[in-house]
Amino acid sequence: MTNVLWLQGGACSGNTISFLNAEEPTVCDLISDFGIKVLWHPSLGLELGDNLQQLLRDCISGKIPLDILVFEGTVVNAPNGTGEWNRFADRPMKDWLTDLSQAASFIVAVGDCATWGGIPAMSPNPSQSQGLQFLKRKEGGFLGKDFRTKSGLPVINIPGCPAHPDWISQILVAIATGRIGDIALDEFHRPQTFFNTYTQTGCTRNVHFAYKASTAEFGQRKGCLFYDLGCRGPMTHSSCNRILWNRVSSKTRAGMPCLGCTEPEFPFYDLKPGTVFKTQTVMGVPKDLPPGVKPKDYAVLTMVAKDIAPDWAEEDFFTI
Amino acid sequence: MTIKTLDISPVGRVEGDLDVRVEIEDGYVVNAWTHAELFRGFEIILRGKDPQAGLIATPRICGICGGSHLTCASWALDTAWGTEVPRNAILARNLGQIVETIQSIPRYFYALFAIDLTHRKYRNSRFYEEATRRFAAFTGTSYELGVTIAAKPVEIYALLGGQWPHSSYMVPGGVMCAPTLTDITRAWSLLEYFRTNWLEPVWLGCSLERYEQIQTYDDFMDWLDEDRKHRESDLGLYWRMGLDIGLDRYGAGTGKYGTWGYLPHEDKYQNPTIEGRNAATIMKSGVYDSFTDTHTLLDHTFARENTTHSWYDEGTADVHPFDRVTNPIQKNTKDFDNAYSWATSVRHQDFGRLEVGALARQLVAGGKHGESWQHQDGFILDVFKQMGGPSIHVRQLARVHELVKLYRQAEHCLREFKLNDPWYIKPKEKDGRGWGATEAARGSLCHWVEIEGGKIKNYQVIAPTTWNVGPRDGEGVRGPIEEALIGTPIYDSSDPVEVGHVARSFDSCLVCTVHAHDAKTGKELARFRTA
Repeated sequence: MTNVLWLQGGACSGNTISFLNAEEPTVCDLISDFGIKVLWHPSLGLELGDNLQQLLRDCISGKIPLDILVFEGTVVNAPNGTGEWNRFADRPMKDWLTDLSQAASFIVAVGDCATWGGIPAMSPNPSQSQGLQFLKRKEGGFLGKDFRTKSGLPVINIPGCPAHPDWISQILVAIATGRIGDIALDEFHRPQTFFNTYTQTGCTRNVHFAYKASTAEFGQRKGCLFYDLGCRGPMTHSSCNRILWNRVSSKTRAGMPCLGCTEPEFPFYDLKPGTVFKTQTVMGVPKDLPPGVKPKDYAVLTMVAKDIAPDWAEEDFFTI
Repeated sequence: MTIKTLDISPVGRVEGDLDVRVEIEDGYVVNAWTHAELFRGFEIILRGKDPQAGLIATPRICGICGGSHLTCASWALDTAWGTEVPRNAILARNLGQIVETIQSIPRYFYALFAIDLTHRKYRNSRFYEEATRRFAAFTGTSYELGVTIAAKPVEIYALLGGQWPHSSYMVPGGVMCAPTLTDITRAWSLLEYFRTNWLEPVWLGCSLERYEQIQTYDDFMDWLDEDRKHRESDLGLYWRMGLDIGLDRYGAGTGKYGTWGYLPHEDKYQNPTIEGRNAATIMKSGVYDSFTDTHTLLDHTFARENTTHSWYDEGTADVHPFDRVTNPIQKNTKDFDNAYSWATSVRHQDFGRLEVGALARQLVAGGKHGESWQHQDGFILDVFKQMGGPSIHVRQLARVHELVKLYRQAEHCLREFKLNDPWYIKPKEKDGRGWGATEAARGSLCHWVEIEGGKIKNYQVIAPTTWNVGPRDGEGVRGPIEEALIGTPIYDSSDPVEVGHVARSFDSCLVCTVHAHDAKTGKELARFRTA
């Protein structure tokens, strides 16, 4: 059996709820087919009060082996580094986390809050929130840059707001079945298998992107969302268009610009006036371009692409 | 007899971090305090941001009711900007809201509530063995089916919004999507799958049509007796076991109930205003006072917040949310005579503390007030009266009763879409104030926004659980859950499962309540008055 303890700090439960949508395997399959035992979970655990506090103490002492600690939500440090604004089981959550992190063989941070700090850590960060090993792009976070779990791995980061259920379940299964060695982590501790490609990979609007045919307004079945509506699909590391959401779609397929929610900077530009659902441009060229592309070259490419664009690139693509 | 004090931290299986203190005398709860133990401060984060920042940030207040927050954020901007919203978009927003709630009901029932029916305390009940077979965590036959099949209705949400949870597909002026016939056909098919694989065979033991014939408490009891399949359905088993173990005998609460109303009508709310909303929702708003058996309309200007017993330094007066000066205290020591929670106490200016949630919605649905074309359903009101008032058991029935009605509303949305008509009409951004409200699965939710100089000047949220889990108010009156805990029998104080039953019967969601309050450094905000 692989013991999993799942706790939430400054969280919205979004990753838990996303996780419940997993289908292959389902949450129940994880238990019956892959030998995962959920010691406790805020929404699913049986124990309350003193009984839970005892269970947590037993994990810390080693009486109950803590194989995987899953953490969802930010580490709340307010006020003044005490963590008293997020008490759990009668003490600051960050104190439980300090103790449990020493006992866990693996730690998995699910969602943007636990990985980078997410929306609670957005300016002015009233709860003094951090991610477990990062705050935005800056390495360190609550546990520190050099922190390693008993397995020798740093915190495994599964970002996203929320994280896709398959990303979570597959990492848990990889650990439970002894395959975590097959998973390579990138510099932000993200499993490369999910975060090596861009959100754009697999997007059904790619042909519009190629011919620079833009969706200028919402509620359209045609056009690319990158040029006017602030889509971050070409710059965001995620597999949202390869491993579809809820099995059926992705934001960009449905017509919603990618918000870049797997990246440490999410929400981009701190949602300052004029930045929401509007592409930021410099001299008519999007300010943020696909990594490695030079703005000057891109301006030339745009001109050529528009020039060769066939008529149908501007037509309703996915008709009724 | 001495009074024993019991501190329960955490209660668990309520979304977020809820602690409860109860005083027990002769085996019964005689006093109670509920305290929310987490603070994020979304409203200060939103201040000074893009007017549309709420569309991205507020669904992240709560991962369970994100679609409800998105609904509120969109309608709030619609009223502030004076938009026109095409009927397709109203239907698409409603459908998203509906499938989110349809998702929530089985997950709430099996994962959060029914697990406790397998508690060893109930081992002598004649229903215990069967309940354990069906409702045991992770392995129970109905648990597994109910928790996993709930992923299906939100696939419809994903067809509209790309993903669930945390999409932002609703925007002022409409929605971002323009579904095709393929999307609509798949959505129908997903609804059917949910109906034929769980709702009818497992939950009801009969067709939706048969269930819909139930209009009164007597009809319901006749339905139970009519067929073995009805009795042995999950609903039938739950109802009979609940009576056997006494869930109808405690957990009463305030006896006054409120709902903002929800599901704006696709033809009556295309030019949304704050004033026109009450007459434009399919599910009507209202307050039901069970002591006088009267129904009245509910208006946003009636809402008041009080922070006397909360960890905010804001005086002791009742204020409208628009007028709050939000200033959290640094040292949040638990002091049960003074401040003990991040939640505020929310009141109705005339009726005081109200319970919100499914029971409130259904009791209001039984009223004759409102518009002639608005939804009317007297079933739960009749059950409430026949059973002598509120309890855990009536609250549960109200919650699951909504499934069939919402299913029909989802069908209505799918039927009414006109795929070649507009989904979005680009609005003109302007300064102003707006209000958006809805009913999340667990109760009344609303957002107030004020935009000035092209940015958010003030953003305020009152979540369902702020109503229900709030601490004592300025007059020392207990909050709805605190009140509902009074009289709860405690069988074993080292494992007070009954406290969990009561708290969870409200389907409390602390992640909203304790996150949605403002942390301000004491500087008074510019304000405007209501009414």
